[in-house]
Amino acid sequence: MADFNVNVRGVGSVNVIELNGYLDAHTAPMLESTFNKLIEENNFRVVVNFETLNYISSAGLGVFMAYVETMRDNKGDIKFSNMQDNVYNIFDLLGFPMLYEFFKDESEAVEKFNEQGLNK
Amino acid sequence: MIKLLSQLSRARKLENSIFLLIVLFVYKIIFPTLSSVPILIVNELLLLSVIFFIIAYTDDFISDKIDSPIAIVLNVGILTAVLFFIISLSSALFEESAALTEGADFIITILLTLLAFVFVGSLTYIFSGFRSLFFLRQKKEPKKLFNIMMFLIFLAAFSSAIVKMDSSTEYIYNTFYVLSIILISFNSLRVSWIAFLIKKQKLYLLIISIVLSALFAFNFALIISDVFIIRVLSGFSPSLLTFLNLIMLYGLIYFGVIFFTTLFHLPTAEAFDRKAEEVSSLIDLSKLITQVFDFKELADTVTKMTTKVSNSDSAWLVISKDGSLELASINNIGYLEADEIIDAIDWSKFDNNNEVTLLKKNNFSKAKGAALKKNHFDCIALAPLKVHNKLSGYLLAGRKDNYEFDSDDKKSIGAFADYAAVALENAKLFKESIEKERLEKELDVAREIQYKIIPSKTPEFEKLKISALFIPAFEVGGDYYDFFEVDKNKMGFVIADVSGKGISAAFIMAEVKGIFESLSRLIDSPKELLVNANEILKNSLDSKTFVTAIYGVFDTEKGKLLFSRVGHTPVHVLRNNNVKRLTPGGIGLGLDYTDKFSKSIKEMEFDLINDDILVFYTDGVTESQDENNNDFGTDRLDKLLVENSDKRIENLSNEIMKEITVFSKNKAQHDDITMVIFKWNLSKNKNGEN
Repeated sequence: MADFNVNVRGVGSVNVIELNGYLDAHTAPMLESTFNKLIEENNFRVVVNFETLNYISSAGLGVFMAYVETMRDNKGDIKFSNMQDNVYNIFDLLGFPMLYEFFKDESEAVEKFNEQGLNK
Repeated sequence: MIKLLSQLSRARKLENSIFLLIVLFVYKIIFPTLSSVPILIVNELLLLSVIFFIIAYTDDFISDKIDSPIAIVLNVGILTAVLFFIISLSSALFEESAALTEGADFIITILLTLLAFVFVGSLTYIFSGFRSLFFLRQKKEPKKLFNIMMFLIFLAAFSSAIVKMDSSTEYIYNTFYVLSIILISFNSLRVSWIAFLIKKQKLYLLIISIVLSALFAFNFALIISDVFIIRVLSGFSPSLLTFLNLIMLYGLIYFGVIFFTTLFHLPTAEAFDRKAEEVSSLIDLSKLITQVFDFKELADTVTKMTTKVSNSDSAWLVISKDGSLELASINNIGYLEADEIIDAIDWSKFDNNNEVTLLKKNNFSKAKGAALKKNHFDCIALAPLKVHNKLSGYLLAGRKDNYEFDSDDKKSIGAFADYAAVALENAKLFKESIEKERLEKELDVAREIQYKIIPSKTPEFEKLKISALFIPAFEVGGDYYDFFEVDKNKMGFVIADVSGKGISAAFIMAEVKGIFESLSRLIDSPKELLVNANEILKNSLDSKTFVTAIYGVFDTEKGKLLFSRVGHTPVHVLRNNNVKRLTPGGIGLGLDYTDKFSKSIKEMEFDLINDDILVFYTDGVTESQDENNNDFGTDRLDKLLVENSDKRIENLSNEIMKEITVFSKNKAQHDDITMVIFKWNLSKNKNGEN
């Protein structure tokens, strides 16, 4: 079926997860293991770049809900960036923008983390 | 003749034998002494046919034991021993009483005849025993040789009787006798069955054969000396004596050959045993593969058999799971030790290897070799498990002594690895099909729950017409809608979608129903109700699951709707051929449990005017896809609403359903499709038509 890729890269102290393809119940475990690995390595500042993500199902949304608390408890966060409109609509209907920070561009999200870092 | 005989049934052969025995017995009583030539010839012919028929009968009888040649040998041995006792005992007891041999007395005649019958019976049985052993494990049946020998023995026996009448014919007897011995010697060489005995049996046979050849030799020696019993038998029938003579000689030669053959087979006995064990283990294993689907059990059998057949000290099986190797079974080695050795091996070298590889101590680096040394392994054989060229693991066998695995060991380890690979694949497939079946059962339950939760019919009001459409997905998507009577003119309505699928979604759905059903009686404000619902769901939703919903209260008299939305798809309102989407703010249930949640929720009041159509739906409607992964989408929905606005709402929902079905006909429905349509209708027309 539709395929899905996860790619992680470090930008300073922030880790950027790039999503590609279709994120649904079948592919969600890949993203989960990515988050698990980040937490294992004590990386709690995460930006998820949605630029090449075409579709997200409720199971995909659930992944972020499951990990955001751990990140925030450890002075980190999950921030979203570069979302396509159809994907953003789904987040928007659910009310995610009230709970998560969304950015037009990945660099803005990274910048936000760095500012927070300075404030600490 | 022989062919004819073999066609007779076993009972028939027995009947014939017994009949002839009785005839012979009666004949003996009538003619106790062989005083004239005709009497002698008839006597001999009778005797030989008795022997012939008894051989034919016992032959069938013995062939039942064909799988245990040792048992046949033992039977032959016991009978020989019996004969030995009769011969030596009777000789010792009756040597002096010469009168007995005269055979004049009636009772003595009977006794002596019976004694002779014992000999007849024993000899034929022994002969049949030889016959069975002769044919044992012969691939090409050399029937001819044996039958010629049998024929010659009979001729020798018969001619010995003639010699008694006319001594000038002795050369005929001598010729047959010598020819018989030549064929007996030749036939005695057919002892290939010895090779198939296991070592223990061979040792046993070695001892028995030496004892038996001695016994036959003793008997033979006694027969050719002039003892009492010989005189009796020669008085009974000269043929029988010759038959006895030749059988004893046969036994002597045959067991002599057996003794030496077994002796020469002994050194290779162990190797033969191992090969035989390997073959039988592989057969057992292949049976197991088709019968047992528990991989652990199969893996244990494989390692156990590998240890045994390859003569190694330990064997263990690793399977690759998610890119790493996992210990599946161990035999004669600890888990920790096996793991240590697995860690010490550089696996990347063997990825493309189809052969069994031997790893010796010096193949390892010093640091890694330590694990081997610690466990005293000198050599490890490593066989890849491959099915359809896909590597699924390795079978390893280790030896502690200084002997390396030879090519046979390697072959057998390879064979076991191949079987293990197939077994692994089988067990996996079986597990998958079980899992699938379980899932399907589970989904049946979930669907049943869902059908019980969703109302079977829609309530009816004078001014408010309601039509509901619900198509569950195969996997059960967790959609839910319901109507509640709040008071006389007020009706509560909820539409909800639980994230997730299957039985877990169905259970949450059931809980959501309970929550809304009870809260709708207690709380008027939709916002407040949803805040409370969120609070209650906090305890049952896991961190990945959320519920989107719209809760509203219709005033069925005044035409007002007060509602709130939490994460759910918008409400589409069709008024004057125009569709408006109502999307008051609100975070989905289960996304947040702080006061952010209640702050996010807006309450919206909507005044209905005549012919207003309100559509509530779940994302299964708009996310229905065609073969190119295009969504059905909200615009298509709105267009349909406008086009069919003049229809009765039942027909409207049918029309939408039809369009969705056509749109997504090439793609499986992966989410529930739910749609509830309300129409505010003030005209007197009950059907809600214009």
